[in-house]
Formats: sequence, structure tokens, C-alpha cells
Amino acid sequence: MGLLDPLNLIFLASLAVLVAIYLRARARPTLEVSSLILFDEVAAPIASSRVLRTDALFWLEAAALAALGLAMAGLYIKTAAPLARQTHRAMIFDLGAGMGALSGSGTRFDLARRDALAILDSARPGESFTVIGYALEADQRLPPTSKINRVRAAVNNLAPSALPARAAALGAALVRARGATQIDLFVDRPPPPAALASLPAGATLAIHQVGAPADNLAIVSLEPGTVGAERGRCVVRNFSDRAALCELEIDDDSRPLFHDTVVLEPHGQAVIPFGPLDHGGPVQARILTPDALAADNIRYAYAPPPRAEKALVLSPDPDVRDDVAHVLLAVNPNLIVTTADPSSFAPKTSDLYRLAVFHDAYDPGVAAHARLIIFPQPWLERRAPPAHQFDVVGSLVQSEMQERTDGVALAQPVHLGPTRVLALPSWMEIEARGANGATGAPFPMTAMGYDASGAVGVVAFDIGDHLLLDPDRLEALVATVDLIKRLIAPQRLQVVETGASVGVPVSGPARIVAPDRSVTPATADDAGRVRFEPALAGEYRVESEAQTAEVYANYFDAAESDLSTDTAPSSGRRPLEIIEPPSHSTGGGLEPLGLILTVLALLALVGESVLLGRKALRWGLRDA
Amino acid sequence: MLESRAFDPAFLRRLDGLVLGVQRARTARSGRRTLGRVQGLGIEPENFREYNEGDDLRFLDWNTYARLDELTIRTFRAERQVEVTVAIDASASMGVPRGDDKLGLAMALGASLAYVAMASNEAVRLVAFAARRSGLELDATPFRSRREMYPALRPFVERIRCGGETRLAEAVGRLLLERRGRGIIVLVTDLLVAAGEYEEALDRLLAARHEVKLVHVLGHSETSGEYPPGNYLIRDSETGVTSEVILGPRAAEACRRRADHLSAQAEAFCRARGVVYARAFGAANLDEIAMREFPRLGIVR
Repeated sequence: MGLLDPLNLIFLASLAVLVAIYLRARARPTLEVSSLILFDEVAAPIASSRVLRTDALFWLEAAALAALGLAMAGLYIKTAAPLARQTHRAMIFDLGAGMGALSGSGTRFDLARRDALAILDSARPGESFTVIGYALEADQRLPPTSKINRVRAAVNNLAPSALPARAAALGAALVRARGATQIDLFVDRPPPPAALASLPAGATLAIHQVGAPADNLAIVSLEPGTVGAERGRCVVRNFSDRAALCELEIDDDSRPLFHDTVVLEPHGQAVIPFGPLDHGGPVQARILTPDALAADNIRYAYAPPPRAEKALVLSPDPDVRDDVAHVLLAVNPNLIVTTADPSSFAPKTSDLYRLAVFHDAYDPGVAAHARLIIFPQPWLERRAPPAHQFDVVGSLVQSEMQERTDGVALAQPVHLGPTRVLALPSWMEIEARGANGATGAPFPMTAMGYDASGAVGVVAFDIGDHLLLDPDRLEALVATVDLIKRLIAPQRLQVVETGASVGVPVSGPARIVAPDRSVTPATADDAGRVRFEPALAGEYRVESEAQTAEVYANYFDAAESDLSTDTAPSSGRRPLEIIEPPSHSTGGGLEPLGLILTVLALLALVGESVLLGRKALRWGLRDA
Repeated sequence: MLESRAFDPAFLRRLDGLVLGVQRARTARSGRRTLGRVQGLGIEPENFREYNEGDDLRFLDWNTYARLDELTIRTFRAERQVEVTVAIDASASMGVPRGDDKLGLAMALGASLAYVAMASNEAVRLVAFAARRSGLELDATPFRSRREMYPALRPFVERIRCGGETRLAEAVGRLLLERRGRGIIVLVTDLLVAAGEYEEALDRLLAARHEVKLVHVLGHSETSGEYPPGNYLIRDSETGVTSEVILGPRAAEACRRRADHLSAQAEAFCRARGVVYARAFGAANLDEIAMREFPRLGIVR
């Protein structure tokens, strides 16, 4: 029993008014009489006038006022919840990288799993469970079932990933737990309050926080430099509260290149130069110093090998040709860049380019491993369009770049000039989005994909007037450079971030071998590519009949890798924190009594009217 | 107000056939007139006597002087009037309960008796008495003895307002101090006075050999006890003394019983002393009281 709006209990003050009225009535209305002689034999009141004399009318009026006051305050009772809700529990596991940190003899996740299995061991007959994991996204691993063995198996199959746990994913997991009367949340740090706003009505949340504070070293970034020319840089960070030794080893295409130990100050960061590289190819950096979290102790990069490759830039604007050539050489100094005006360019069948860039021009049939189409021209000819001709559905005089590939909005939108609005094929993935400056309607700014001929990238905005060299619009240059890097990277050797969508060309049946040696069969999509999202840091191998591709997944997240704060005490477990469902919930467990109270008030008023009527009949109304 | 009924021509016409009842025959009666036994102004010759110096020459019997040459004074039987004083209680208790209009009833009855008396050429006056802050006030009209003068009483009747204490004995004492001849005194009061007071007043009037008639006025509420039910603080209109009572059926019965007891007590007292006692309970009963009850009791005939 409770009150939905306790402030309205102020209406019960009317009872005090009623008592005051009765006391006032009791405190004698004065009646002037001719003489007290006539009242000698009239009985005096038994009780003192200061004592409230209650009668049936008083109690009826008090009952009516009390009922109405309680109705205004929203008196409710908790009704018994349905049996199914009473016995349904949801287990939500944080599968972020932090849960993989060592804690005692196992990992934090092992502690959580142990708690979960203990809950399962004490489960009542008929109690059902659902298992949900989350990191970047929420994933229901097991639908509601009362088969404890299946639940136990699902819990045992869970494993932490090399992904940061997002608050939004926790919120989504809580939403998926709708229908559960109790939710057991297994985390290694307190969940953000904002995420708990999604707690389903009527569900009790039990937070099982596991893991002790731990020291951790992480590789923040790895820049390989230029083979034979420029030194690379590796950034390492110490998340501990004390200084730490960091033994770092870097391989250049599986050949030892760098091995040294540095001292990192508490919560400090160091930039360690190395190289330059001798060979190019995959570059691997490893922290050999033991720490709590292994996922951020290894990082990969790709350094293009120092062999000369050709690139072509076609644009009617000589300034654009010059700017793009400079950018290409900055990305890979080994490129031999050819620039030309499309109107005077005739492709030769013998020329095979590593990358062909078309600005405001059609593809005249250039042979290239990769293509970058900038500010695509709409196809206005009557004949069939050439390959890689995008559908231009509109043109804008001005536009804004608002979002990059990671889905995070830019701090400030980048104002751009003329832009084409494109209808992209389904095999392309949008890397950056923009918006119409006037209407705000979103559309793709940059995109990339793979078709049968190789990698294809597109930039929708015009880069004339030295846009790429404008320091005020640096994001346009960054987006273009990222796209060029991905276009010229070998398809069979990719370096990505964990959680990113990876597409690898395959022929025939394929299988994916994860860093933990687990094997997953895979099938190619319509474009002949296997797509997956690496969840572990390390080397993935996509093996098919004719070829094998290597995908190196890197993990680093400053918040997730920081194991020194927001964790449980050294015992590894914090006391269970219970969060009751919101009291304002209008779920099936609450039964407002407003209608019943109103009916009671009406009955009391009717009873009062009957009593008054009887008195009126008895005494007549003339003197009343 | 009820007192205006006393000047209603229709009401007065019904009183025309009545005369004031007089119990003591201190004067000879001749027809409907009351005759005194003393010589004086009159129209009925009584005797003759010799003229003495100082006699009023108007009463010389000139015929006898001419025939006998003797100065003879003719004496007449004096026609004596009875002084009627209608003393009306104008204390505060006569004003409550307001709806009962006790003062209006008292004034109407008193004026009615005055009208009847004036029709017989009796000398009548109305007196209102009450004890104000300044002391006992006796507000009286001059004696009027002719019916034509009856309307002159109207301003007095309509002017009197209730207020103050009754002090019946003191008022009687003041009347007796006037040392007027014996006459008829009609007391119109609710008798809501201190214990023994009205007895004292009546005894003093009787001791002065007045013929006393007592009209006991009470309101309908007082005699029935019908008050709004509830818990009340009642306040005495004259003394201001208060008391808490519970008004209801039982209280009504107690009030009725008390009023009956007071009335019976007064009636017994009056009967024992030859005083005419008349109940005038309820303003609605004015006609009944004036036309039937008063004749029945001999107050008027």
C-alpha cells in the first residue's frame, strides 16, 4: 500500500476543519431566552464544551473527507503479481574488455559467472531465466526458459570481448529484459545512472559488481611511419596509480625491429619512436610487461611496402589535380602520381593503377585496383553509363559534414561547397554523413565498398578551391585521407578496430579463425565478400579455397582500459546493490483505490443526508 | 406588530359590547354606570340642605328660594369613576423569543382592556415599566375616560420597547407612591421574575385595596419548549446569566413542564387572594384571549 501523490495528503487537513467546525458547534451557539427560569429542568451537557462530541453525522462526514483525501493522494495497494512475472529473471552480463581483466586466479568475468551459476543453483522450480550480454550492442544469448541446464550452458558460453561496454547497450539490454521481475546485472564498474532509466517497470535490479582495482598498461596508437624514410611512433599509457615499467616490442613484418623498456609515470603516457621500417607490411607492437588486461597490449598497423605503384588523378581543375597528388604522396610517398585533364586523357590498356581518382569526371575505362570518385558527375549521356557511375539524385550549392564513420557527430559541422546527393549501391558503406544546409536532410558524404573490380570509394563534395588544404575544414581532408588509406590498403591484409564491420573477398566456402583459435564458418554475400565484426583483439584469418586474408583487430578504449577506478574492493565483490522498481510505475502490481474511495465518500454523504432528513422530519424545518 | 391590532376597527367593534369587570361594589350602580356614594358633581339630585357660607352658588335652588325665601343648596349624587391602571411589563424578557411577540400581545391586551374601560367612561391609563440602567422607569399615559380619546393611546402603545429587568415589586411600589384612590390595576407580565417577587407585588397592591387582575403573558416557544435542537449556551435576556443546555425533545418537555408549573403556581396564588388570573399564552391567541378568556374569567363582561 502506498500513495502515488503524497503531497495531496494536504487535503486531509479538511478533517481538521471538520473537527474545528464541530468544536465550534460544540462551543455553543448562543441562544437568548426570556429567562433561565424556564430552563431549570433542562439537562446540561454531560461533556465539557471543549471536548469534541462525535455523533453519527461527524463520523460520516469524517469518513467522506478521509476517503476523498486519500483518493486525491492516490492511495494504492500492491496486488499480487502474476505467477509468471514472479519467477522470471534476467541475467545481463557486461561483456566489455574490462570484464576480461585478471582478478585473482581468474578474470572478472569468471567471478561474475560464478555468481550467476550460484543463482542458477538456488533457482526455484519453475523459475525462468533469460541471458543477455552487451558491449557495443545488446545481444540476447538465451530466450526465456526454465531449463536451468540450458541457462547454465549459455552462461558458460559467454566470454568477455575486446570491446568497450557502451551505456546505450546496457540500456538496450535492460529493455530486452522487459517482462522480468528481477534483473541480475553483472558488471565490473557501476553502471551509469542514465542507462538505468531503461529499467523495466516492476522489475527489481540487482547489481553484482565484481573485480578488484588493477594495474594496466595499454598501447594507445601505433603509427608505422614510412618504410625506409620516416620513423614510426608508438604511444603507450599507464593506467596505474603508480609508476610502471613498460617492456615494448615491435616487429616489422614478423621481423624484430624494436625492443625496449620505458618507465611510465602514474597515469602517464609516452610516445616511443621506432624505425624507420625496413620492409613494410604488417607491423605489430606488444607490451611484454604482465598486466591485468591483455586485449590492449597488442596493436597492429600496416606499412605499405616500398615498391613503386602508380596512381592516376583525373580532374578538369588543375588545382584539384595538384592538391590530390600532394595528398596521395603524403599518404604513400612510393606512389607515382599521374594527373590529367579528362578531356585530353586516353587510357592505355597496359597501364594498371593502384588507385585512380576521378574528380568531376567520368571513368573513361581506367584499369585500377581501387577507384576514388570525387564530386561525381551526373550521367547525362544517352548511352549506357560506364561502370562505377553513381546515381546523382541532386546537387547542393552548400552542405555540411556532420558525422564520421564512427557515428559520432563532429564537434562542429564542416561547411562545404557544392555537393552531389548520391544514391549509393547496397555494397557500399557510408563513412561520413552530411546534411543539407537548408533542410538538414542527411545524405552520404563519403562511402566505400568493394565490387568485383576492387575497392571503390566516393566523396560527394567538391574539393575545388583548395578545399583539402583549408585548415578551417580539416575534417574534409581527414575523411579523404582515411578513405585513400583504406583504398590503397591490400584487401587481404586489413587493420581495423574491434567492433568494426570488415568485408573480405573470398571464393567459395570460407571460415573465420579468431585470435582465440575458434573457427566460424562463413558465407560470402552477393558481392563475394565475407563480412564480420571482430570482437577480439588480434589476428583474424579468413580462409577460403583459393586464398587467405588477414584481418588485424586493434582494441583500445581509455575508459574501459582504466581498471584502477570504479571497481569493487580488493575482495573482488561488492555488496549486492538492489534497485527497486520506480514507485510511480503504473505496472500491473499497483491497484489505485481512487474509485473505491470515491464510492465510499458518496455512501457516507448519502448516509449523512438520510440522517439529516430524519432529523428535519422530526423537528421541522422552521426553526432550523 | 401585534399591538396595532388593538386599534383595528374590526377588532374594536367586537369589544364594543364589553364592560370592565369590577368585583368590589364600593359604589352604587345605576344601570351600567358606576355611582359613587359621596356628594359631588352629578346630574342625579340627592338631597337639599341649608346654604352655608362658602357653598357654591351654582347649586342654589333658586326655585325654592323664590317660593320659600330660604337659601337651599341642592346636592347631587356624585358620579364616581373607577381609575383603571393597566401596567404592562416592558422588560427585556417580554421581547424574547422574538417570534413570539410577547410585548405586542401584552400591549394589545392592555389596550383592549383600556378600550373597554374607556367605553364605560372609566379613567384609564397605560403604564409600561422596566428597570433600565438609570433605574426603574415608569412610562405612563394620562388618565383617559372617554372612548373618543382611545386613539390617543396609540403612540404610547407603539412607542414602548423592551429592555431592562422586570422588578415587578419595585414598579408596584412606585405606583403605590402616587397614593391615588383605590382602583383597578391590571398587571400584564410574563412573571419571569425572581422568586417571591410577583407575590410581593400582588400583596402590596392588595394591601392598598386595589382590585388586581393579573394577565400572565408567555410566548408559544416558552410554553411548548420548541427550540432548534442542539447544544446551546442560553443567556437570560435580563440578567445576562448564561447556561449550557441540550435542546431537544427532553428539553422541550422540561420547558413545558416548567411553564405549566409557573402558571399553576401563580394561578393558585391569585386564587387564594381573590385576584383574577388570566393566561395569555401565544400571540396567535389574541382574539381568543380577549373575546373569550377575559369574559370567562370576569375581567370583562
